[in-house]
Amino acid sequence: MNVVLTPAMLGQVVVSGLLAGALYSMVALGLALIFGVMRVINIAHGPMLMLGAYTTWILFDRFGMNPYLTLPVSAAVMFLLGALLQRTLVFRVVDAPELSSLLLTFGVSIALVNIAQLVFTSDLRSVEFLTGSIALGPIALSKSRLIACAFAAAITALAFLFLQKTRLGKAIRATSQSREVAMVCGIDVQRIHLISFGIACALAACGGTLVAVMVAIQPEMGQIWTFKSFLVIVLGGAGNYPGALLGGLLLGLIEQLSSLFLTTQLSEAVAYVLLVLALLVRPSGLLGGRQT
Amino acid sequence: MTRGRTFVGALALLAVALAVYPLFGTGYGVRSMLQLFMWVALASSWNLISGLTGYVSFGHVAFFGAGAYTTGILVTGAGWPWPAAALAGGVAGAVLALLIGVPCLRLKGPYFAIAMLGLNEVLRALVSYFEGLTGGGNGLSFPTRHATVPIYYAMAFTAAVVIGMTYLVITSRFGLRLMTIREDEVAAEAMGIDTFRHKLYAFLLSAVGPGIVGGLAARDQGYIEPMSVFPLATTITMIVMVLFGGKGTVWGPVLGAVLLFVFQEVVWSHFIYLHQLLFGAIIVAVVLLMPRGVLGLLQIRYRLPRTI
Amino acid sequence: MAMLEVRGVRKSFGGVTAVSDVSLALETGHIYGLIGPNGSGKTTLFNCITGLERPEAGTIVFEGQRIDGWKPHRVAQRGVGRTFQVIRVFPELTALENLMVVTRGPRAEAEARALELLRFVKLERLAGEYAGNLSYGQQKLVEFVRVLMTDPSLILLDEPAAGVNRTLLNDLLEAVGRLRDRGKTVLLVEHDMKVVMGLCETVFVLDHGEKIAEGAPGAIQADERVIEAYFGR
Repeated sequence: MNVVLTPAMLGQVVVSGLLAGALYSMVALGLALIFGVMRVINIAHGPMLMLGAYTTWILFDRFGMNPYLTLPVSAAVMFLLGALLQRTLVFRVVDAPELSSLLLTFGVSIALVNIAQLVFTSDLRSVEFLTGSIALGPIALSKSRLIACAFAAAITALAFLFLQKTRLGKAIRATSQSREVAMVCGIDVQRIHLISFGIACALAACGGTLVAVMVAIQPEMGQIWTFKSFLVIVLGGAGNYPGALLGGLLLGLIEQLSSLFLTTQLSEAVAYVLLVLALLVRPSGLLGGRQT
Repeated sequence: MTRGRTFVGALALLAVALAVYPLFGTGYGVRSMLQLFMWVALASSWNLISGLTGYVSFGHVAFFGAGAYTTGILVTGAGWPWPAAALAGGVAGAVLALLIGVPCLRLKGPYFAIAMLGLNEVLRALVSYFEGLTGGGNGLSFPTRHATVPIYYAMAFTAAVVIGMTYLVITSRFGLRLMTIREDEVAAEAMGIDTFRHKLYAFLLSAVGPGIVGGLAARDQGYIEPMSVFPLATTITMIVMVLFGGKGTVWGPVLGAVLLFVFQEVVWSHFIYLHQLLFGAIIVAVVLLMPRGVLGLLQIRYRLPRTI
Repeated sequence: MAMLEVRGVRKSFGGVTAVSDVSLALETGHIYGLIGPNGSGKTTLFNCITGLERPEAGTIVFEGQRIDGWKPHRVAQRGVGRTFQVIRVFPELTALENLMVVTRGPRAEAEARALELLRFVKLERLAGEYAGNLSYGQQKLVEFVRVLMTDPSLILLDEPAAGVNRTLLNDLLEAVGRLRDRGKTVLLVEHDMKVVMGLCETVFVLDHGEKIAEGAPGAIQADERVIEAYFGR
């Protein structure tokens, strides 16, 4: 290893990792929600993020809206789309063998990506809004990453407050624990499924909005997010919502650390090997979680 | 019984027709058929693991690409003749399947599927990284020399072998044991079936076909680069063909490959995103409306045997 | 030496201890019963013995060999067969295939034995029917004879009487008796007390994961702790 690690570099890596991690946590929380409540593995999660990014781009490009102000819009739009998908398609495979829900969401993800290709073409789009970085001592932080992290953290905190304090949130958590018990307690499980799926898509869309300011937008951009969200959930524990938080931060840190020693191409391979290792060691996640 | 004999008779006739086709077919026709054989081999191979055991392999194109690159490297770098190199491609596919399968097949079904999702990207990254060997983003070029007709026969032969292998597996108790993994893995284990080993064998078998046709396709195209041999579209097409035709059967994937290939060529090849979109829609429709595929519907309608 | 010796087995899930320091011993050629209120850990104990769960503590010795921690298929191959509380036949396989898939060896032999077993439970005319299309009772019988295909020495039956009509039940119980007569050992979990009292020679009682009583059916029925476990004070 011919890299000399200075404290400044380490600091840079840690901070960058946490910034990225916050975003991962938020997006992965959505996936965890769907899996926890419905035991469905939503491969279409990444495309949801992608659609959120495009929503922001449209609003920015056509109407000159401040991208960060589009957050509620893209969240609302994707919430509705998610609810629609759940109500028409996903609900039919909730009780089916897992294979069915996997294939179904796979089909949906292909459809969404290609709809985006048809509508937006594969030309790269970008939201040129915020560039440059702030220096905090020896550490340089890109402004857009900083703001993305701030929003992600806030939204995630809101989501957790919602889950912990509101009646609907508690109903969601109860349904995640045991559908039968929830039904006995008078919870309308169908409605919970609908709302959870919607919220999950909204979270992904927020991720898309925040990411739109930072990277190039194209129809295939969501795929890697699906994969990383899975990685986060496995790291943090499937069905374990706080675990998604920690898993996201962990992933962010690991990615930044490995980018010190490896090229970006290989660090993706690292993420992959990590996923397989994590699944082998603890199928229910490293931080524990429910037994499946 | 006479139904069976008519079927075999028809197959024999078809085989003869296909064998003599290159003599009077157009260049374009021969190349199309060659592609069809490739898809038949790919779909039937995917069926061996995913259709029989229920372990969905979302990254199966990895074996195709591995075969392509192995063949490419052996032909351009070591001067191997392409038939031998293509067989080596098959071996490469199996080796890769072993490397991935040993850790990943211990995971439960859905987790295996997730692990396979990311395989594509990783392999593409690895190929780019090992530029010296693989030519990286610049790709590899084969010495140009038309070999369309021999490759036609090679593809046809490979497809036939894969179909034959599928038939042998499905009619054997090994195949039945694979199916129990799909039906109820816990019960299968409790009944004394070593599910991990069975899954691994099926996985290895399912990787050889793609490896070989990957090599043949590479030779046919004359040029390979990471994007062209690891496209997600290939996996998607494989999956649609098997689901639509009928997973878990011998002829279902073949039927699906033929139907969708014709569709693809005749109708949508110009509108790539549209037809991909329709593939996605077909997957959704099949899962919800006809999980047994077209062949499954026919099986019920005409009381056909399960091992068809 | 006992055929099956379970010593100090413990298994918990999350914060819940499903099986706590359970020990029991089975001798060859007897029928044993395992009873207890819902949630007392009976199926978990079965799972530990058959390898579906890995005990955290304790040992399980079968015919002189430690089998705790073994993978389920190895335990099954060693000679331990089981049925499940919820029927687990392979629905897309025929009844015959359900049986044949379990054994190795020449196909003709396996088929002959499978047919013989189906005849034993009077289902031979349904041999070619998909197991998923059979009635509940028929599936139950298929699952029962499937266990017998490999001729295990120890047979664990998880609620064999559940949802089964009287006539069928009598046939099943008669079959179990015949197994015992041929030198097999049977351990069954049951809620139907009549079955347990009528068939089992020794009964173990679990409550909240612990073994609270062990003995002949008559003695168990009168045991205060058992009565308390089922009905409270």
